[in-house]
Amino acid sequence: MKGRFYQLTRDLHLYVGLFISPFVLLFAISVFFLVHSWLLGITSETSTTRVVSALPLPEDLKMLSGRSLIDALKPTLEKAGVRGEVGFVRHMIKEEELVVPVTIPGRETTVSIDIAAREATIVTRETGLADALVTLHKSPGQHGPDIRMNWFYMRAWRWTADATVYLVLFISVSGIYLWYVLRAERSTGLILLCAGALSFFGMAYALSH
Amino acid sequence: MPSVIEPIGPGKSPNVPAFRAQLERWNRKLHFYAGLFLLFFMWLFALSGLVLNHPSWSFTESWKNRKERNYEREISVPGPEVKGDLAQAHAILRPLGIEGEILWTTTRTDTNVFEFQVRRPGHFFFIKADWARKRVTVRQSEVNLWGVIKVLHTFTGRQMNDAGNRRDWALTSVWAYSMDAVAAGLIFMVLSSLYMWWKLPQKRLVGAVVLGLGSLLCGLFCVGLRWLF
Repeated sequence: MKGRFYQLTRDLHLYVGLFISPFVLLFAISVFFLVHSWLLGITSETSTTRVVSALPLPEDLKMLSGRSLIDALKPTLEKAGVRGEVGFVRHMIKEEELVVPVTIPGRETTVSIDIAAREATIVTRETGLADALVTLHKSPGQHGPDIRMNWFYMRAWRWTADATVYLVLFISVSGIYLWYVLRAERSTGLILLCAGALSFFGMAYALSH
Repeated sequence: MPSVIEPIGPGKSPNVPAFRAQLERWNRKLHFYAGLFLLFFMWLFALSGLVLNHPSWSFTESWKNRKERNYEREISVPGPEVKGDLAQAHAILRPLGIEGEILWTTTRTDTNVFEFQVRRPGHFFFIKADWARKRVTVRQSEVNLWGVIKVLHTFTGRQMNDAGNRRDWALTSVWAYSMDAVAAGLIFMVLSSLYMWWKLPQKRLVGAVVLGLGSLLCGLFCVGLRWLF
């Protein structure tokens, strides 16, 4: 029974670890960009501009804001051929213009809609893989929960990011069990575990007190 | 996998199998040694990542539950030898006993007024110095443990959209390099696990399927979406 549990835990540790390894790499590599504000890829970005006319606009446009505005603008963006996660929409009342930022990891599109002319100027910037990793690392994030995750694929990313966390917790706990079974490694492992705990709590204490 | 006592083919160094066996042994050892050392760091970043991704979880609310304290102190105007905003900020903070990462958030409109923020996990200081009145007002906000956990996740002293903002507190640099070390450790653990898996021929097929599925899904988000849309 004990042997079967060990085998099962070991297999699950291996296969779950293999499944999440690309995601762990994604989060780990993007840490270097985020910690040091490296803008690799962003500097070599390419940009294209196009204009789309005769756009359908929601009737009650001026009454809408937040998520309801984003949802109402979806057909407009669809017609303009712009897909992705819509960010905070700016309504420039004086200029009668809407500025809609749309993001796909590695691509940023700004749609400037002239409300009176029903015309949109669309600027698309390809920001590269490094920027894609950073965007994914930071998504969905803590800001703008009411408007964020308005595109199916970014909602799917949120589920995937959450699943990665739960699976990391699983493989860390199963890893502790697999280590503990190895009697010969217990003392060295325990020393490293304590050293890690001391470093972690020591730093956290120094930073927060 | 050949064992250490198996005969080796002509032209191969007799040390190769022994070296491989050692490599495999140490790869395995270092995999769980790194995992054990980084365990608490990993749990912190995993848990805080989850909390940051779910701002609607009310039990992790920290900012609304903050405790605030306001006070005012007398300050002496720094001399001409104190040049630049950062040096002036340090001159204000030293007598107040405040330590942390200095953030620049306010553009100066009045040269007599100098406003800035100081942040460290759990503590937020909003400082306004009035050189004409020789007074400094401090609004100090303290957040709960969830607030500390959330700030630790993002406490790098740098911002992607503000390259000019540099780390100015030694502990921020220590923490930032710790984040690097944790990330490097995780990359090592992934690579070492791939090596260990490859050395198990009976697990290769299922492992390849699982790894392939994970890579496909991850690749969809990293590059696939741009390609599809």
